[in-house]
Amino acid sequence: MKIVTAVVKPFKLDEVKTAVKDVGITGMTVTQARGFGHAGGHIEIYRGKEYEFDFVDKIRVEIICTDELVDTLIDAIVQAARTDTIGDGVAWVTDIEHVVRIRTNERGPSAL
Amino acid sequence: MLSAVNIPYPHWLNPADNTWQLTAATLVGLMSLPGLAVLYGGLVRKKWIVNTMLMIFSGFSITLIVWMLWGYNLAFGPLAHFGATGSFWSGFIGHFTPLATASSEQGQAVSGANTLIPFHFPTATLAYFQFVFAAITPLLFVGAFVGRLKFKAWLLIVPLWITGVYCVNAALLWGGGFFAQKGAVDFSGGYVIHLSAGVAAFTGAAILGPRRWQDRENAFPSNLMMVAVGAGIIWLGWNGFNGGDPFYAGASAASAVLNTNVATAVGVITWLLWDMFLSKQKKPTFLGAINGMLCGLVAITPSAGFVNGTGAIFVGLISSTVVWFAWNYLSKVRPFSKVDDALGVVYTHGIAGLIGGLLVGILADPHMTEYGVAGKHYKGSGEFSVSGWFYGHSFHQLWEQFLAAAWIICWTATATAIIFYFVKWVLGGLREDEETLRIGDVAIHEEEAYPEPTFGEPLDTPSHLHSDNV
Repeated sequence: MKIVTAVVKPFKLDEVKTAVKDVGITGMTVTQARGFGHAGGHIEIYRGKEYEFDFVDKIRVEIICTDELVDTLIDAIVQAARTDTIGDGVAWVTDIEHVVRIRTNERGPSAL
Repeated sequence: MLSAVNIPYPHWLNPADNTWQLTAATLVGLMSLPGLAVLYGGLVRKKWIVNTMLMIFSGFSITLIVWMLWGYNLAFGPLAHFGATGSFWSGFIGHFTPLATASSEQGQAVSGANTLIPFHFPTATLAYFQFVFAAITPLLFVGAFVGRLKFKAWLLIVPLWITGVYCVNAALLWGGGFFAQKGAVDFSGGYVIHLSAGVAAFTGAAILGPRRWQDRENAFPSNLMMVAVGAGIIWLGWNGFNGGDPFYAGASAASAVLNTNVATAVGVITWLLWDMFLSKQKKPTFLGAINGMLCGLVAITPSAGFVNGTGAIFVGLISSTVVWFAWNYLSKVRPFSKVDDALGVVYTHGIAGLIGGLLVGILADPHMTEYGVAGKHYKGSGEFSVSGWFYGHSFHQLWEQFLAAAWIICWTATATAIIFYFVKWVLGGLREDEETLRIGDVAIHEEEAYPEPTFGEPLDTPSHLHSDNV
């Protein structure tokens, strides 16, 4: 099994969610995050003084899926989160050892 | 029909005047609580919100206690004559007498020097009205000290400053003292409150030293919506500030309210336009607009009932413009660049107050009459007006305004410095220690503005809960 972690633009979250559901995934975890990448930060002005905001608001999405589904899922996320402008974010895939569904104590792929 | 004997008012009391005066006083009180508390709370960093708000609430409370015990009579009671009549020493302060008797609350309010026509409401009304003005003054200048002033120091600075600075300036300009006798006017406190607050802010901040550089660099405001709430209350509260100072619910009060609002509206738009066309970023900013609002409010304060509508528009335009340039350019040159006036009190209150006070000497229209105010121009029947250079073609009023401003600046700076060094000596320092400054509210008060919610619930029943309540 794999966990796919994607850091995306906040306003793209709903598109990502829909795309992930369409792939047949039944759950995802979302965290409000901040980060910087190639896009860099932005300037805000308060009372004439400029402040550099290095970290930009992002949404961190985590989805656990079976090995077979990974490529389809990544494609779906890329298509949904992409705006072709700088700062679209990144996604990465990590192997995971084990999954447990807490309510039923099921183990492995059937826990998803 | 009610017979006169059934009306529970003494013959001198006018219920309309009394009602308006108490309403106006309450509006001015709202400018401090919660107006300034949330305005300054919104402008400081998140970690300083509680400390800032508590300084506002405690300063308001201390001032009222001082006011009852000696402040009111020191500023507005009969003058103490330390010198020949008409000399400075015969008219700079009253006596240390409390407002302790029934008649000192319910008797007819009279002016200190007995040169005003008698008021149509009781002393308690006048004392409370004058209190809210006294209270807001230290609450304005605390904006310069946020983020490092020791809380205990604040509790000492307020009573000392009210006594040694505010009461003296108020007696001199409002209590029938020396500058009032000379003919200087300050309709609602452009000098006694705002210029003085600005000077005290600057002097105090110079002695106190700057905030930590980390706090200066990260000085972004905590909540702009709270700034909007505070600023809105302050603007509309100013209807009581300037509308209450004729002391009669008449035409002067009405024109003062209208003039105040138009000067403020012009101040807002003027600052916005400078921001949009001349600032480095060319962006209209909300906090800039609020600065412009304060400039208009502060600058119209000394002249609210003395100028006509055109004059009020010029007051807003000139003050907002001068302060905009001061804020953006003067702040880069010494000594302004060296003193960390955290919220810029010296600009929006000090400079705007000075400009407004001087503009009285230029723009005051002699056809705008105020009732019940004494001074050199007192016309006997209670009518009073001031003639600026535009109308009287004389610089006399401007000169009187200049002299009063010079006094306010010199005395406030000197006395504030003495008070700060004295408190520093008593407490062994004016600043919280470095570790406390790094943490902020939690270190000083064990409170924070937005406490983190606890996740989950406690496991064991606390022993202090009775079993019936579990």
